[in-house]
Amino acid sequence: MSIIQVKGGGGGGAVGLERTSFVGARVPPEIRAMIKPLSKLDQTAFKKILKGKLINSLIANFIQDLQDLQIPEGFHEDLVAMVVGPKRPVIDSFLENRRPRLPSLENLSWRTDVAISTGVLNRVLVRGVTMEMTLSDGSIKDFEMTVSKFQELRFHVASVLGEMEKLEKHSILKIKD
Amino acid sequence: MSVSLFTASASIKKAVMLINDMDVNRFPLLLSRILQKLHLKEERTFSEEEEEKLQAAFGFSSNDLDLVLETLEFILQQAAYHTAKPAVLSEQLKQLEMKEDKVEKIVEAWTNGARNLVQKLKERTVHPNQLEEVKWRLNLQMAQASQSKVKRPNALFQLGVRNDSTGKKENIRLEFTHEELYEFYNQLETIQKQLDSLS
Repeated sequence: MSIIQVKGGGGGGAVGLERTSFVGARVPPEIRAMIKPLSKLDQTAFKKILKGKLINSLIANFIQDLQDLQIPEGFHEDLVAMVVGPKRPVIDSFLENRRPRLPSLENLSWRTDVAISTGVLNRVLVRGVTMEMTLSDGSIKDFEMTVSKFQELRFHVASVLGEMEKLEKHSILKIKD
Repeated sequence: MSVSLFTASASIKKAVMLINDMDVNRFPLLLSRILQKLHLKEERTFSEEEEEKLQAAFGFSSNDLDLVLETLEFILQQAAYHTAKPAVLSEQLKQLEMKEDKVEKIVEAWTNGARNLVQKLKERTVHPNQLEEVKWRLNLQMAQASQSKVKRPNALFQLGVRNDSTGKKENIRLEFTHEELYEFYNQLETIQKQLDSLS
């Protein structure tokens, strides 16, 4: 069988994809609304706001709990820094990776073909897509599909992506913690 | 100058002689069954029982029947391989010294069944595993053992892949976060662009 091949591959991880901002996939309207007035604020006023609201509401409870556990005062500042400081996203992604889940798609290698001729048919000229998926559990799955099946797959992925975005916009903000 | 579909080998000559003697009334049914099964890789065209009945009906020995069936299959396979025009098929069968009435029936069966057969043959692939089915589910994860208040959307996909030779179906189950799904989507878009350039 003679075929024309076009190969491509995509790796997992950061190849070709920007890191998602800490505010999530979409900037919440509250943050967006805050940005303009923020530029008009001066340093001292900002520090007051931070210290006033933030420390009182979030951190106060945390520090109270630390005191109840009788953790030495000297360690409080470092612990608070871990919870709210720059290292927090590291903790969050660590937790995300710890959850039970089905395998993820680690790597996708693909190929588009045109079958020109086969043993049973001299002139075929049919396009196809071949994929090799390497999953996070180490298994490798390879299979082929017709162009129409590929379109179906692409349609489903696009739909789910759209549904996810809708979900993140609405439900998440509405569910009260 | 059209391609020669058949070479007049000894076995073909003998088969043609046998075919010429056949009762033409039962011929079309024979041909349509052969055409129906031609695209399938492993299946027998006729069951053993049916072959015995055919032997009796046409007065053939077991070997003669085999030769006739094989030759008819071969004729139609060659016609399919070259997507032969009916006129060409007709002429080349006559060159093999096949009788007019049989040639007519074969060409008629071919003309009626060609499109369907060629389409089925086009779909035949070499790769054993074919993607048959795509199912999905969108979830919102609310919590986990190590974390409360999660609200993390994730998508589960189940790809049904059938193995042509074993006939077994495997379900490939994958999970995607938003970022992972977005990356997969981009790859699919790239593939689509490649397909577009091939059409």
